[in-house]
Amino acid sequence: MWRITVKGLRGHKLRLALTALAIVLGVTFVTGTLVLTDTLNNTFTTLFGQVYQNINFEVRGVAAFPASGAAGAIRKPLPESILAAVKAVPGVEVADGGVSGYAQFIAPNGKAITTGGAPTIGSSYSADRRLSSLRLVAGKPPSTSTQVVMDQGTARKYHFSVGNQVRILLPGSPQTFTLSGIVGFGTADNLAGATIAAFNLPTAQRLFGELGHLNTIDVITTPDANKTAVEHGIAAVLPAGVEVVTGQTVAAEQSSAINQSLGFFSTALLVFALISLFVGGFTIFNTFSITVGQRTRELALLRIVGASRRQVFRSVLFEALLLGVGASLVGIGLGVLTASGLETLLKAFGITLPSGSLVFQSRTVFAGLLVGVGVTVVSAISPARQAVKIPPIAAISTYEVAQRESSARRLTIGTVIGVAGIGVLAVGLSQPAIQLVGIGAVGLFIAVGILAPVIARPASSVLGRPLARILGVSGRLGRENSMRSPRRTAQTSAALMVGLALVSTIAVFGASLSKSATGTVSDAVSADYIITAPATGGSDTGLSLGATEAVAAVPGVTRVTNVNSGQFEISRSLATLSSLAPSDLSSTVILNMTSGASAKSLAEGMLLIDTTTANTNHLSVGSVVPVTFAETGPTSMRIGGIFKPNALLGSYLTGSGFFHAHFAATTFPVAVLLATSTGATAPTSAAVKAALRDYPNLTVQTRAAFEKTQQASIDQLLGLVYALLALAILIALIGIVNTLMLSVFERTHEIGLLRAVGMRRRQIRAMIRSEALILSVFGALIGVVVGTGLGVALADSLKQQGITDIVIPFTNLVIFLVLAALLGLVAATWPARRAARLNVLEAIATE
Amino acid sequence: MTLTDPNTFNANESPALMARAVDLVKSYGSGEAEVRALNGINVEFARGQLTAVMGPSGSGKSTLMHCMAGLDVPTSGRTFIGDQEIGTLDDSGLTQMRRDRVGFIFQSFNLVPTLSAAENITLPVDLTGRKVDQVWFDFLVDQLGIKDRLTHRPAELSGGQQQRAACARALISRPDLIFADEPTGNLDSNASAELLTFLRRSVTEFHQSIVMVTHDPRAAAFADRVVFLADGTLVGELHEPTADAVLEQMKQLGA
Repeated sequence: MWRITVKGLRGHKLRLALTALAIVLGVTFVTGTLVLTDTLNNTFTTLFGQVYQNINFEVRGVAAFPASGAAGAIRKPLPESILAAVKAVPGVEVADGGVSGYAQFIAPNGKAITTGGAPTIGSSYSADRRLSSLRLVAGKPPSTSTQVVMDQGTARKYHFSVGNQVRILLPGSPQTFTLSGIVGFGTADNLAGATIAAFNLPTAQRLFGELGHLNTIDVITTPDANKTAVEHGIAAVLPAGVEVVTGQTVAAEQSSAINQSLGFFSTALLVFALISLFVGGFTIFNTFSITVGQRTRELALLRIVGASRRQVFRSVLFEALLLGVGASLVGIGLGVLTASGLETLLKAFGITLPSGSLVFQSRTVFAGLLVGVGVTVVSAISPARQAVKIPPIAAISTYEVAQRESSARRLTIGTVIGVAGIGVLAVGLSQPAIQLVGIGAVGLFIAVGILAPVIARPASSVLGRPLARILGVSGRLGRENSMRSPRRTAQTSAALMVGLALVSTIAVFGASLSKSATGTVSDAVSADYIITAPATGGSDTGLSLGATEAVAAVPGVTRVTNVNSGQFEISRSLATLSSLAPSDLSSTVILNMTSGASAKSLAEGMLLIDTTTANTNHLSVGSVVPVTFAETGPTSMRIGGIFKPNALLGSYLTGSGFFHAHFAATTFPVAVLLATSTGATAPTSAAVKAALRDYPNLTVQTRAAFEKTQQASIDQLLGLVYALLALAILIALIGIVNTLMLSVFERTHEIGLLRAVGMRRRQIRAMIRSEALILSVFGALIGVVVGTGLGVALADSLKQQGITDIVIPFTNLVIFLVLAALLGLVAATWPARRAARLNVLEAIATE
Repeated sequence: MTLTDPNTFNANESPALMARAVDLVKSYGSGEAEVRALNGINVEFARGQLTAVMGPSGSGKSTLMHCMAGLDVPTSGRTFIGDQEIGTLDDSGLTQMRRDRVGFIFQSFNLVPTLSAAENITLPVDLTGRKVDQVWFDFLVDQLGIKDRLTHRPAELSGGQQQRAACARALISRPDLIFADEPTGNLDSNASAELLTFLRRSVTEFHQSIVMVTHDPRAAAFADRVVFLADGTLVGELHEPTADAVLEQMKQLGA
């Protein structure tokens, strides 16, 4: 029996290749993601291991809020005096302190050097080489207050060399330094795209506002020292709030922080990979259904010569298994290639990675095989059951592959699954639990797939009518072909349906998000200008305090307000606290108070919360809540007022006086708001920009422009999601090509007849294309309808989270439909050509 | 040679009878549109004989064979292979019966196109997971003259060769009974004669029981006995027939 399966597969290479392609692509995506993230993961673990390999211990402030993760934790700086005490501990050979802070290079063309997400690191340059993660590759260490060393990645990209002058953005005003040397980070040119500016310790302390303070003290013990004894010795001299940890601990913390964010990235990609595979599953299901139908005679013959039902069932599943294994293996191979390609791509974007070969874990192979084979075999179960139902007598008498399942039964099953899916979806959206949303959506798609055949016939009839009118006989035949087997039409369209449903969901959700975002800006801010610094990837925004002073001097600027924000703990959970100067409140932001007073509360250091927080935590004006700050420790705050959600300010707001009393002096503002006497006019804009000439990293925007930027960043994200969904659509189209090829093959005789009675090749092609058009528009139409529903549900469930408007982007949806139709036509190209090229005589001879 | 296997039937079954039908009725449709393909047929097929079933088109001869072989379900009445009543078997029972007791030869050869001739022949045995009796296999392909065609696909064989491969397939598992449905229908006269000669030999030399549906008097002349069907009813029979006698009988039936 196995032999029959294997031989059968070999006999249908084209069908095999097309079917396998759907799985290959999905598995490639899965494997590529895993290999890439494993490789990056390994790279960073190795890198941090190298960097900290010589350091035995690190002394640092205790993390204020352990919940926020060890690496990104807020730690109070140490008094410099500790250094002497640590040095005096027996067994300590070297101990050296370091500070770090915000420093961003300015390129020779005057623009700030950005990293595309990686931090811009400023640090002190340790005198002892063994302690430093920085490796000097050219020049000398920074020895004076005007010298700096730069990472090799930045130096290469912007053609800096030792002795050059470079301007650097700092917490205070920008300053010019002389490049004394170039450094690498461990064995790499830089730390995953981060820029590094290192100064000598006193300079760094001055620049980063840490005079008399250190962030860390790194320790190397004497070779023969008892490590545990040294650790205890160090711990004994440390004041409260300071801890000593091993170098390995720090390395592990650093790499796990990066790996955690990689994990998120990997999960996101895997979700899209699974979507592709899900769509691929529809294609597999459909191909197997059709081929089981076409092989009715053969399968019945096997029954007659003694094959049991179980053997027939297994033979279909075995075929799927072979296909799945083969396709998955190819996919795994391609995935590895893709991953190395992506790595090269990252390099092209300037993210130089430390040298390291691709990490190909056995888990990757296992996962690739599991999903690839799993999807294929599961998709083939229903066709295999269909095969089992073929009676032996079908081998000798014409036996119509009856649509045994009555449409009533189909309706019942589809409705049950659909209702269950919607139920799970609803629960998932209200929780919110993303897994439940996924499961619910899968259920809903399967239900639509089951129900679609019920309406496929009338729908094909309606969709085909205009084609019949325009194209005459060809259109009419195409229409009839798609009506002839509504189940096949529906199943073929199902894959495209899923793809378009997801695209439409994203479109509706995105349009709503976009609309809400712009709505909230004008509802939240009344300032004429908003100054922000593009994210530098680090915890610092790069909005230097010097900038605030510079714009304050611009004529016509009446108010300059720093919006600050920082992490604090409220009622034992971590949250972000924003602050504003109470006097500037009315001229720069819009606070719609539902109860309490705004300015007065801010001035008195009380806490304002938004209505969402008030409702979920059952707080009202006058409530007192326990809070903890990293700098000053636990205290309590009184609720002074409750405001309607404000996009700019977040959920918790206090006065700037209170804020600065509880946060480090060096905390950067997240935004600077300007009110002017003139409003946003061109001369004022020019004057503000001129005042900020020294701060090329900052963006000055009018309120309208700020809104647009918000919208643009949402659009960018949507673009990315569309791109990732494109693979699913591609797989759906492969499904259409496959079905059409099978149909052409099946109707060889019929097509030959049509040609024999005088149909032109062009007309044959038009006939196949008409069928493709009906298939794709039918699938797209259902997809758009389902997707719009899903999108509205999704947006609606996020009302609390700030989606205020639900927008259905009709133009976009129509564009999707048109695109789907065009893609359907593209999918028909090959089958149509094949049909048109059939040799008339041979075709008629085929049975 | 031990090709004549004395154990081709169960010892406790009636030794002379291979298959029978009792009051067999098969009708299609219902009410006014009802068509009776078989109208209460009682027939017995002897063990170790070649029995031909003849009749004009639409006489119900194929339906009779399908019902007796368990391929089709009669409307009423009972059919037996040996002492086994077919109607009591479920699907796996029927599968077991097809594996162990019956073989089929069809008009349109019905070979699996992707398998070679040899693989098609051994298919019934392969499906059971048993070992192919190599001596028997060699004997069959030698006798049927397809020894040098074994590695070819059906599409590469002539009609006669295909039918002989199908014949070998039917015999490979030494079934109690072979149903042959118009086995010469698609063959020219030479190929027909060769095939019929072989079927005749298998009955004479190793006591194979065969029921053959045909409308060709020359084919029927190879049989030990011919039964005639018309309008779903048994209308006569001939023993040790000649082609002329069969033809005469057929003429009387108006075919």
